[in-house]
Amino acid sequence: MLAQIILFDGFDPLDVIAPFEVLSAGSDALGGAIDVRLVGLESAGPVTSGTRGLELNATHVLEPEAPGMVILPGASGPTVGDPDLVRTIPVILAGLAGTALPDLIRRAFAAPDTLVATVCGGGLALAMAGLLEGRTAVTHTLGNDVLEATGTTVVRARVVDDGNLVSAGGVTSGLDLALYLLEREFGPRIAYSVEQLFEYERRGTVWRAQGHAALTV
Amino acid sequence: MRTPIGTMHATMTFDNVEGTWTGSAVGGDGGPAIPLRDIRTESTADGEHVTWSQTITTPLRLNLDFDVVVDDERMTGHSRAGRLPRTAVSGTRDPAR
Repeated sequence: MLAQIILFDGFDPLDVIAPFEVLSAGSDALGGAIDVRLVGLESAGPVTSGTRGLELNATHVLEPEAPGMVILPGASGPTVGDPDLVRTIPVILAGLAGTALPDLIRRAFAAPDTLVATVCGGGLALAMAGLLEGRTAVTHTLGNDVLEATGTTVVRARVVDDGNLVSAGGVTSGLDLALYLLEREFGPRIAYSVEQLFEYERRGTVWRAQGHAALTV
Repeated sequence: MRTPIGTMHATMTFDNVEGTWTGSAVGGDGGPAIPLRDIRTESTADGEHVTWSQTITTPLRLNLDFDVVVDDERMTGHSRAGRLPRTAVSGTRDPAR
Protein backbone atom coordinates (compact mmCIF):
# COMPACT_ATOMS: atom_id res chain seq x y z
CA MET A 1 0.00 0.00 0.00
CA LEU A 2 0.92 3.63 -0.34
CA ALA A 3 1.36 5.88 2.69
CA GLN A 4 1.36 9.44 1.40
CA ILE A 5 2.30 12.22 3.80
CA ILE A 6 1.34 15.64 2.46
CA LEU A 7 3.74 18.58 2.56
CA PHE A 8 2.40 22.13 2.29
CA ASP A 9 3.97 25.51 2.86
CA GLY A 10 4.22 25.98 6.66
CA PHE A 11 3.85 22.30 7.68
CA ASP A 12 5.04 21.21 11.12
CA PRO A 13 8.18 19.05 10.64
CA LEU A 14 7.56 16.62 13.51
CA ASP A 15 3.95 16.04 12.33
CA VAL A 16 5.52 14.72 9.12
CA ILE A 17 8.65 12.98 10.38
CA ALA A 18 7.04 11.01 13.22
CA PRO A 19 4.62 9.09 10.94
CA PHE A 20 7.26 8.93 8.20
CA GLU A 21 9.75 7.12 10.43
CA VAL A 22 7.19 4.91 12.17
CA LEU A 23 5.58 3.78 8.91
CA SER A 24 8.99 3.29 7.27
CA ALA A 25 10.14 1.10 10.17
CA GLY A 26 6.82 -0.75 10.00
CA SER A 27 7.35 -1.33 6.30
CA ASP A 28 10.81 -2.74 6.98
CA ALA A 29 9.33 -5.06 9.61
CA LEU A 30 6.81 -6.20 6.97
CA GLY A 31 9.40 -6.79 4.27
CA GLY A 32 8.50 -3.63 2.37
CA ALA A 33 4.68 -3.71 2.38
CA ILE A 34 4.29 0.07 2.65
CA ASP A 35 5.63 2.56 0.10
CA VAL A 36 6.02 5.63 2.35
CA ARG A 37 6.16 8.89 0.41
CA LEU A 38 6.30 12.60 1.09
CA VAL A 39 3.97 14.18 -1.47
CA GLY A 40 3.08 17.63 -2.75
CA LEU A 41 -0.49 18.67 -3.49
CA GLU A 42 0.13 19.68 -7.08
CA SER A 43 3.85 19.30 -7.71
CA ALA A 44 6.90 17.51 -6.36
CA GLY A 45 9.95 19.36 -5.05
CA PRO A 46 11.19 21.07 -1.90
CA VAL A 47 8.56 22.42 0.52
CA THR A 48 9.39 24.79 3.39
CA SER A 49 8.08 23.97 6.85
CA GLY A 50 6.86 26.51 9.37
CA THR A 51 9.86 25.92 11.64
CA ARG A 52 13.06 27.84 10.98
CA GLY A 53 12.80 27.37 7.21
CA LEU A 54 13.46 23.64 7.41
CA GLU A 55 12.76 22.07 4.01
CA LEU A 56 11.65 18.59 3.09
CA ASN A 57 11.46 17.19 -0.41
CA ALA A 58 8.17 15.97 -1.85
CA THR A 59 9.26 13.10 -4.09
CA HIS A 60 5.82 12.58 -5.64
CA VAL A 61 2.46 14.27 -6.19
CA LEU A 62 -0.48 13.10 -4.07
CA GLU A 63 -2.53 10.30 -5.66
CA PRO A 64 -5.76 10.65 -3.67
CA GLU A 65 -7.39 7.40 -4.78
CA ALA A 66 -4.34 5.16 -4.25
CA PRO A 67 -5.10 2.29 -1.83
CA GLY A 68 -3.50 2.98 1.55
CA MET A 69 -3.34 6.09 3.68
CA VAL A 70 -3.14 9.83 3.10
CA ILE A 71 -1.73 11.72 6.08
CA LEU A 72 -2.16 15.46 6.53
CA PRO A 73 0.14 17.21 9.05
CA GLY A 74 -0.59 20.47 10.82
CA ALA A 75 1.25 23.77 10.57
CA SER A 76 3.86 25.37 12.79
CA GLY A 77 4.08 29.09 13.43
CA PRO A 78 2.75 31.69 15.85
CA THR A 79 -0.26 30.68 17.96
CA VAL A 80 -1.04 34.22 19.10
CA GLY A 81 -1.24 37.52 17.30
CA ASP A 82 -3.70 39.57 15.28
CA PRO A 83 -4.78 37.23 12.47
CA ASP A 84 -5.10 40.25 10.17
CA LEU A 85 -1.38 40.95 10.61
CA VAL A 86 0.29 37.66 11.56
CA ARG A 87 0.13 34.32 9.74
CA THR A 88 -0.98 32.46 12.85
CA ILE A 89 -1.49 28.71 12.68
CA PRO A 90 -5.29 29.05 12.20
CA VAL A 91 -4.66 31.46 9.31
CA ILE A 92 -2.22 29.01 7.64
CA LEU A 93 -4.63 26.09 8.13
CA ALA A 94 -7.66 28.04 6.86
CA GLY A 95 -5.63 29.07 3.82
CA LEU A 96 -5.45 25.42 2.77
CA ALA A 97 -9.18 25.65 1.96
CA GLY A 98 -8.17 27.82 -1.00
CA THR A 99 -5.73 25.24 -2.42
CA ALA A 100 -6.19 21.94 -4.24
CA LEU A 101 -6.36 20.19 -0.84
CA PRO A 102 -10.16 20.05 -0.28
CA ASP A 103 -10.94 18.44 -3.65
CA LEU A 104 -8.05 15.98 -3.31
CA ILE A 105 -9.13 14.93 0.20
CA ARG A 106 -12.77 14.66 -0.95
CA ARG A 107 -11.53 12.17 -3.56
CA ALA A 108 -9.51 10.28 -0.94
CA PHE A 109 -12.61 10.01 1.30
CA ALA A 110 -14.62 8.71 -1.66
CA ALA A 111 -12.01 6.09 -2.61
CA PRO A 112 -12.91 2.63 -1.24
CA ASP A 113 -9.48 1.56 0.02
CA THR A 114 -8.02 4.87 1.17
CA LEU A 115 -8.07 6.24 4.68
CA VAL A 116 -7.36 9.82 5.57
CA ALA A 117 -5.31 10.47 8.71
CA THR A 118 -4.47 13.81 10.29
CA VAL A 119 -1.90 14.95 12.81
CA CYS A 120 -2.25 18.07 14.92
CA GLY A 121 -3.78 20.97 12.96
CA GLY A 122 -4.28 18.79 9.89
CA GLY A 123 -7.67 17.80 11.28
CA LEU A 124 -8.62 21.42 11.83
CA ALA A 125 -7.57 22.29 8.27
CA LEU A 126 -9.97 19.69 6.86
CA ALA A 127 -12.73 20.88 9.19
CA MET A 128 -12.29 24.52 8.22
CA ALA A 129 -12.49 23.43 4.57
CA GLY A 130 -15.90 21.94 5.41
CA LEU A 131 -14.83 18.30 5.05
CA LEU A 132 -15.51 17.04 8.59
CA GLU A 133 -19.18 18.00 8.95
CA GLY A 134 -20.71 15.51 11.39
CA ARG A 135 -17.47 13.51 11.73
CA THR A 136 -15.74 12.74 15.03
CA ALA A 137 -12.16 13.95 15.32
CA VAL A 138 -9.47 15.63 17.40
CA THR A 139 -6.81 18.24 16.68
CA HIS A 140 -4.12 20.03 18.72
CA THR A 141 -5.44 20.93 22.16
CA LEU A 142 -5.27 24.64 21.26
CA GLY A 143 -7.53 24.03 18.26
CA ASN A 144 -10.22 21.76 19.67
CA ASP A 145 -12.64 24.60 20.45
CA VAL A 146 -12.36 25.90 16.87
CA LEU A 147 -12.74 22.34 15.57
CA GLU A 148 -16.01 22.07 17.52
CA ALA A 149 -17.25 25.34 16.00
CA THR A 150 -16.85 23.85 12.50
CA GLY A 151 -19.58 21.28 13.09
CA THR A 152 -17.18 18.43 13.98
CA THR A 153 -17.80 16.29 17.06
CA VAL A 154 -14.63 16.58 19.13
CA VAL A 155 -13.32 13.74 21.30
CA ARG A 156 -10.25 14.82 23.20
CA ALA A 157 -8.40 11.49 22.89
CA ARG A 158 -4.86 11.24 21.58
CA VAL A 159 -6.07 9.28 18.53
CA VAL A 160 -9.67 9.15 17.26
CA ASP A 161 -10.70 6.45 14.76
CA ASP A 162 -13.79 7.44 12.76
CA GLY A 163 -13.58 4.80 10.02
CA ASN A 164 -11.89 6.26 6.96
CA LEU A 165 -10.82 9.28 9.05
CA VAL A 166 -8.25 8.75 11.80
CA SER A 167 -7.19 11.95 13.54
CA ALA A 168 -4.58 12.64 16.18
CA GLY A 169 -3.93 15.45 18.65
CA GLY A 170 -0.88 17.69 18.74
CA VAL A 171 2.60 17.09 17.33
CA THR A 172 3.92 14.02 19.20
CA SER A 173 0.60 12.21 18.82
CA GLY A 174 1.73 11.58 15.23
CA LEU A 175 3.86 8.78 16.71
CA ASP A 176 0.78 7.24 18.34
CA LEU A 177 -1.25 7.74 15.17
CA ALA A 178 1.24 5.92 12.96
CA LEU A 179 1.72 3.09 15.46
CA TYR A 180 -2.06 2.71 15.65
CA LEU A 181 -2.32 2.68 11.84
CA LEU A 182 0.30 -0.09 11.72
CA GLU A 183 -1.70 -2.05 14.28
CA ARG A 184 -5.02 -1.43 12.51
CA GLU A 185 -3.70 -2.40 9.06
CA PHE A 186 -1.07 -5.04 9.86
CA GLY A 187 -1.65 -6.17 13.44
CA PRO A 188 -0.16 -5.57 16.89
CA ARG A 189 3.10 -7.50 16.37
CA ILE A 190 4.25 -5.01 13.73
CA ALA A 191 3.28 -2.00 15.87
CA TYR A 192 4.99 -3.58 18.88
CA SER A 193 8.21 -4.22 16.98
CA VAL A 194 8.41 -0.54 15.99
CA GLU A 195 7.67 0.56 19.56
CA GLN A 196 10.60 -1.61 20.69
CA LEU A 197 12.91 -0.16 18.06
CA PHE A 198 11.93 3.44 18.80
CA GLU A 199 11.87 3.02 22.61
CA TYR A 200 8.43 4.61 22.64
CA GLU A 201 5.05 3.37 23.89
CA ARG A 202 1.71 4.88 22.93
CA ARG A 203 -0.43 6.35 25.67
CA GLY A 204 -4.17 6.56 26.15
CA THR A 205 -7.03 4.76 24.46
CA VAL A 206 -7.73 5.11 20.77
CA TRP A 207 -11.35 6.30 20.64
CA ARG A 208 -13.74 4.43 18.34
CA ALA A 209 -17.55 4.44 18.22
CA GLN A 210 -17.73 0.76 19.17
CA GLY A 211 -19.06 -1.15 22.12
CA HIS A 212 -20.92 0.67 24.87
CA ALA A 213 -21.15 4.42 25.21
CA ALA A 214 -20.37 5.65 28.72
CA LEU A 215 -23.24 6.81 30.96
CA THR A 216 -22.84 10.14 32.69
CA VAL A 217 -22.40 9.31 36.37
CA MET B 1 -16.61 40.75 12.22
CA ARG B 2 -13.51 39.31 13.79
CA THR B 3 -12.82 35.56 13.51
CA PRO B 4 -9.86 33.31 14.42
CA ILE B 5 -8.59 33.72 10.86
CA GLY B 6 -8.99 37.48 10.63
CA THR B 7 -11.56 40.17 9.92
CA MET B 8 -14.41 39.20 7.64
CA HIS B 9 -16.92 41.44 5.92
CA ALA B 10 -20.50 40.53 5.12
CA THR B 11 -23.80 42.12 4.18
CA MET B 12 -26.72 41.05 6.36
CA THR B 13 -30.29 41.49 5.24
CA PHE B 14 -33.19 41.37 7.71
CA ASP B 15 -36.88 41.22 6.77
CA ASN B 16 -39.90 41.29 8.99
CA VAL B 17 -43.01 39.63 7.59
CA GLU B 18 -46.04 39.84 9.90
CA GLY B 19 -43.91 39.88 13.02
CA THR B 20 -41.48 37.11 12.02
CA TRP B 21 -37.88 37.99 11.28
CA THR B 22 -35.94 36.30 8.49
CA GLY B 23 -32.50 37.19 7.25
CA SER B 24 -29.50 36.25 5.19
CA ALA B 25 -25.81 37.08 4.98
CA VAL B 26 -23.55 37.33 1.95
CA GLY B 27 -19.82 37.25 2.60
CA GLY B 28 -17.43 39.85 1.25
CA ASP B 29 -15.81 37.09 -0.82
CA GLY B 30 -19.04 36.68 -2.79
CA GLY B 31 -19.96 33.29 -1.34
CA PRO B 32 -23.51 31.94 -1.23
CA ALA B 33 -26.25 33.68 0.81
CA ILE B 34 -26.41 32.09 4.26
CA PRO B 35 -29.71 32.07 6.17
CA LEU B 36 -29.74 33.69 9.61
CA ARG B 37 -31.40 31.42 12.16
CA ASP B 38 -33.28 32.09 15.40
CA ILE B 39 -33.40 35.85 14.97
CA ARG B 40 -34.64 37.45 18.17
CA THR B 41 -35.08 41.13 18.95
CA GLU B 42 -35.70 43.04 22.14
CA SER B 43 -36.05 46.79 22.64
CA THR B 44 -33.66 48.12 25.27
CA ALA B 45 -32.59 51.57 26.44
CA ASP B 46 -29.44 51.26 24.27
CA GLY B 47 -31.37 50.36 21.12
CA GLU B 48 -32.70 47.23 19.51
CA HIS B 49 -30.94 44.18 20.91
CA VAL B 50 -30.68 41.49 18.17
CA THR B 51 -29.35 37.93 18.38
CA TRP B 52 -29.08 35.27 15.68
CA SER B 53 -27.05 32.24 14.58
CA GLN B 54 -25.48 31.47 11.24
CA THR B 55 -23.40 28.73 9.68
CA ILE B 56 -20.76 30.11 7.37
CA THR B 57 -19.08 27.89 4.78
CA THR B 58 -16.64 30.31 3.15
CA PRO B 59 -13.84 31.21 3.61
CA LEU B 60 -14.10 28.57 6.32
CA ARG B 61 -16.75 26.38 7.89
CA LEU B 62 -17.76 27.94 11.22
CA ASN B 63 -20.87 28.17 13.43
CA LEU B 64 -21.32 31.72 14.69
CA ASP B 65 -23.72 33.20 17.25
CA PHE B 66 -24.27 36.96 17.10
CA ASP B 67 -25.37 39.38 19.78
CA VAL B 68 -25.56 43.04 18.72
CA VAL B 69 -27.32 46.28 19.54
CA VAL B 70 -28.70 48.22 16.57
CA ASP B 71 -29.43 51.94 16.57
CA ASP B 72 -30.54 53.91 13.52
CA GLU B 73 -27.42 53.59 11.43
CA ARG B 74 -25.04 51.32 13.29
CA MET B 75 -24.77 47.98 14.98
CA THR B 76 -22.14 46.92 17.50
CA GLY B 77 -21.70 43.78 19.55
CA HIS B 78 -19.97 40.45 19.32
CA SER B 79 -20.04 37.03 17.75
CA ARG B 80 -18.88 33.78 19.19
CA ALA B 81 -17.76 30.57 17.50
CA GLY B 82 -18.70 27.73 19.84
CA ARG B 83 -16.79 28.09 23.10
CA LEU B 84 -14.17 30.42 21.70
CA PRO B 85 -13.88 33.83 23.34
CA ARG B 86 -16.34 36.32 21.87
CA THR B 87 -15.05 38.70 19.22
CA ALA B 88 -16.12 42.16 18.11
CA VAL B 89 -18.74 42.79 15.43
CA SER B 90 -19.54 46.20 14.01
CA GLY B 91 -21.63 47.33 11.08
CA THR B 92 -23.36 50.22 9.40
CA ARG B 93 -26.71 50.32 7.67
CA ASP B 94 -26.54 49.88 3.91
CA PRO B 95 -27.53 53.33 2.59
CA ALA B 96 -29.42 51.69 -0.29
CA ARG B 97 -31.90 50.17 2.15
